[in-house]
Amino acid sequence: MMGHTDNRSWQSAALLLAVMVAVALLATLAPPALQRTVTEAFIKLTVVIGLYVFVGNSGVFSFGHVGFMAIGGYVSAILTILPAKKEVALDLPVFLETLQLPGLAALIVAVLVAAIVAFLVAAPLVRLRGIALPMATFAVLVIVHVVALNWQSVTGGRQALVGLPRFTSLWVALAGAAAALIVATIYQQTRHGLALRCSRESEVAAAATGIDVERERLIAFVLSAAIVAMGGFLFAHFLGTMTANTFFIDLTFVTLTMLVVGGMRSLTGACAGVALVSIVSELFRSIERGIPVGDHVIEAPPGLQEIALAVILLAILIMRPNGLMGDWELAWPARKKAKEGA
Amino acid sequence: MIFLQNAIDAISLGAVYALAALGIGLIFSIMRLINFAHGELIMVGGFVLYGLAGQPYLVMGLASILVVAILALGMERIAFRPLRKASPATLLIASFAVSYLLQHVVLMVFGARPMGVDFLAQFGDSVELGVLRVPKLQFAAIIVTIVSLVCLALFFRRSRIGVEMRAAAEDFTMARLLGVRANRVIAVAFVISGVLASMVSLYLVAQTGSVSYKMGVNMVLIAFVASVIGGMGSLTGAALGGFLVGIVSVSLQAYLPVDLRPYRDAFVFLAFIAFLLWRPQGLMTRRADMERV
Amino acid sequence: MLSVKDLHVSYGNIVALRGVSLEVAEGEIVAVIGPNGAGKSTLLLTIAGVVRAKQGEVRLGDAPILGIAPELLAARGVALVPEGRHIFGSLTVAENIALGATTRRDRAAIAADIERALDMFPILRERYRQRAGKLSGGEQQMLAIARALLARPKLLLLDEPSLGLAPLIVRQVYDAIFALKRQGMTVLIVEQSVHRAVAAADRTYVVNSGQIAMSGRSSELHGTAAFDAAYFGMGAEKGVR
Repeated sequence: MMGHTDNRSWQSAALLLAVMVAVALLATLAPPALQRTVTEAFIKLTVVIGLYVFVGNSGVFSFGHVGFMAIGGYVSAILTILPAKKEVALDLPVFLETLQLPGLAALIVAVLVAAIVAFLVAAPLVRLRGIALPMATFAVLVIVHVVALNWQSVTGGRQALVGLPRFTSLWVALAGAAAALIVATIYQQTRHGLALRCSRESEVAAAATGIDVERERLIAFVLSAAIVAMGGFLFAHFLGTMTANTFFIDLTFVTLTMLVVGGMRSLTGACAGVALVSIVSELFRSIERGIPVGDHVIEAPPGLQEIALAVILLAILIMRPNGLMGDWELAWPARKKAKEGA
Repeated sequence: MIFLQNAIDAISLGAVYALAALGIGLIFSIMRLINFAHGELIMVGGFVLYGLAGQPYLVMGLASILVVAILALGMERIAFRPLRKASPATLLIASFAVSYLLQHVVLMVFGARPMGVDFLAQFGDSVELGVLRVPKLQFAAIIVTIVSLVCLALFFRRSRIGVEMRAAAEDFTMARLLGVRANRVIAVAFVISGVLASMVSLYLVAQTGSVSYKMGVNMVLIAFVASVIGGMGSLTGAALGGFLVGIVSVSLQAYLPVDLRPYRDAFVFLAFIAFLLWRPQGLMTRRADMERV
Repeated sequence: MLSVKDLHVSYGNIVALRGVSLEVAEGEIVAVIGPNGAGKSTLLLTIAGVVRAKQGEVRLGDAPILGIAPELLAARGVALVPEGRHIFGSLTVAENIALGATTRRDRAAIAADIERALDMFPILRERYRQRAGKLSGGEQQMLAIARALLARPKLLLLDEPSLGLAPLIVRQVYDAIFALKRQGMTVLIVEQSVHRAVAAADRTYVVNSGQIAMSGRSSELHGTAAFDAAYFGMGAEKGVR
């Protein structure tokens, strides 16, 4: 029985990876603007997969993950911006000011810092039940946001922190998303992932079978924060800038929406959600730019993109309250096997 | 002296937060829906005032309350009724979608820049109460909140539909089995919630003199926090939570060392986390009841 | 008064009722008994409109009522006292009882009915202004029944009225049920406790694994071997539940 589950999960991951690579390949044929959209989608996918690792497996909502995105981005910014620029914009201790790391090293540090912060933050909080835990994560989001907005010397405060090397290309973003997917799949298979999913169905039953729900949640939260921080890293080096206000309510809810609309109980759902929101957004963005019809160009008023997105999301939720994918993971159609008895 | 002045600030801010929290808490207690779009009810109320600028204040205010109440009803009918049986996660995301939608409609029509509105200008000056000078608006906020709380309390104790709503908040299915009409109870809850939101909006516009498409966001976040502090599902708790957040907020603003003041909100939320660790079920809920949440 | 035909109800993949049919004539008390998990509560919840059926027919008098919302069924005279009492703990006894009359408008008659209910359960008169959450289990059960009676229902559905109650209290509850029978009320009782239910009822249905295993006049059923077999499950492979 265990082996069978393993197979399906890996099958699913392999198929999703194949789809992702296919999309990337197609994107290389597309105009640069569309490539950028696909790159951004892969970055968001990394974040949503990270989100899924905690929210999907535990059934507990987190509003704080965008805070870890910010941490990932800012740490990497500090480590990769040219020392000359840092001297002007920030007020850092000397060893940080002169330090400049290559991308991969910065990524590792950023993810580690985020994971440590996540551990320190979540350790006292995972004992909370009901709505208290989500609200505590929300408090984390606000605290990170306020600090980022005001800690002028480290984050640049209200002003955008510029000068980050922009190395997040289409393939880098794909690599990030793929790594996230693989890590998430591995985690799901471990006894930690399984134990956490048991607690999703019933906390009481899980505890009764000896599962330490709090510990499993902590593990998932830290792992989730690490993946999300990687997403933040990718994002920072895609935009080349870090602005504190980006990492607040709207981004929090857009990523949560992607997860819920796709189906928060499966990785396929996470991917589907990102795909859906990205496609709809891009569709309406191009409508906004104007559709040439003969000699005329039909233009839509700016803001239509967001309105249409919201309406479509609502419609999908109404039609499929468990998200597009529900519980379902992508797999090859099962070959008919002989029934092994009732 | 300064302490009393701060106390008035705290209580009046708390009063407004209490009204906002009540709006959130009422819907949650009956439907288990965390209505993120409550902030947009506040925002639309503000824009109605903007649209009617120049009219007598009474007309502006009443129109605002009416439009927001209707919007609340519409929101329920179109977005939330089809989702009555959905999970809390879906409901929350749906309410965010509604919020996002409303924000961007207003953004598209009015643009992003905050716009000035003259409302209750005469409340700008202060009233002398012995040695204290209390801004009229703050004074009004406290009075209005107290009156509203009393009216709501009477409504829930004495009126038929009020008792039905209390029953529905405790056990919706059992209430329906007795004949309590789900649609009617929910509709009334949304109308009351809308009226509460518009009162918050009237205060905000009178105080800041402007409206913007994001003006509801801050308030709704604080309203959640206040509701959770009071105990989700408890209306007394929501009001209490609101006052508490107002008091802590103003106190921190007044007593934090100057260079830490920009971080005031971080401290407020740090205090919130500490509160959650101490009493996660909120002030008014018993621990045993928490599982229902 | 009540006729149920071929009712099929499932919770997701779990089948709760597979083709249940029963009848309750006006003025009758009918008991539905069976072991835990047999589907008895599901039956009442489906009749009352809380649970959706996959298939089947339920009629109140001549009118089909399957799938109608619970609050509308309440208006039509169906009153359910669910398992576990479900009184509103944060409301007073008085408010609880008054809520029973939600579907009624005749003030004077309601007041008279409240008096009658308090006569039937004097302990409630004592506790009239208290929060219902403070009542004992037995008192809450009486409150739940009193509340149901305020609706002047045509059909009273009782789900395990004796569950968790001391024998003395159970006797009080069943005395009340007998009093209702004398007044001509139609009652459908679901019970795990065989003895009381069968003694009170005119006819009894035995439910097991979502199906009617046996039915008949109570006097004929009780104590027979066939009855025990029906209650505990037919055939060796099912085992004792």
